[in-house]
Amino acid sequence: MTDSIQPDLLALVRDPIDQDALIQHVRAQEDGAVVTFDGCVRNHSQGRRTLYLDYEAYESMALGKIREIAEQIHEKFPVHLLAIAHRLGRLEIGETSVFIAVSSAHRPAAFEACRFAIDTLKRTVPIWKKEYFEDGAVWADGEIPPAPLETQTAKPAS
Amino acid sequence: MLFFGRLKEIVGHAEDSVDLPDGAPIEALFSHYGASHPELARFRASLVASRNQEFAAWTTPLHSGDEVAFLPPVSGG
Repeated sequence: MTDSIQPDLLALVRDPIDQDALIQHVRAQEDGAVVTFDGCVRNHSQGRRTLYLDYEAYESMALGKIREIAEQIHEKFPVHLLAIAHRLGRLEIGETSVFIAVSSAHRPAAFEACRFAIDTLKRTVPIWKKEYFEDGAVWADGEIPPAPLETQTAKPAS
Repeated sequence: MLFFGRLKEIVGHAEDSVDLPDGAPIEALFSHYGASHPELARFRASLVASRNQEFAAWTTPLHSGDEVAFLPPVSGG
C-alpha cells in the first residue's frame, strides 16, 4: 500500500477513449472490484433528434479540476486507483464522451467513488457541449459551478 | 481574458488582453466587455468567474498577468 504516490490516469483526449486501457490501468491484484462509468452520446435531447455533439474545454483548468476530484476521492473513499478521461471535439452518436474507472479492495468504495467522480465532474469541470440538431445547434443547459462569493486570499499569477 | 462556449461566439474571439487599474475587481472586467457586447449582460447571472484557473468571486482584485475567464454553466460528461 502506498499513499504517497497516486498514479491515477487523468486526461482530456481528442481521439476515441481506449476504455480497456483505462480499466487495465486501475486494475491490480490487490483489488476486488473495478467499477466503470461510460458516458455516451445520446441520439436525443429534450425531445429533439441529436446529430452530433461538439465538446470544448478550458483545458488547463479542466485538468486541474479533474485532479482535484481525484484528490477528493482518495480522501473520501478507500479506493486504489482512478482513471478519468474526457473527450473533446466532435463526437458522433454512441461514442464515449467520458469514461471513469475506479478500483478498490471492496466494491462499495469503488461504486461510491465512481458516482462521486461523474457527479462532481458534471458540476465543476469547465467543459461545454454544443448539441447539433437537424434544424440548428444550441449550447447544452449546464450546471453553475460553486464559486466563492467573497474574495479569496490572492495568489500571484503563475 | 479567455472566452468559451457561447461567450466566445458573442465576443467573437477566444482570447484578449485588457489594461485595467491594478487591483480592479473581476466585475470591472465584465463591465468592460458588457459595454461593447450588451448581450453579455443577459448571461451575467448564470456565469461564474475564474482567476488563474480557480473559481473566483466577482470582487476578486486583478493584477498584471492574471488569466481571467467568465464561465458559462458547465455541461461536460
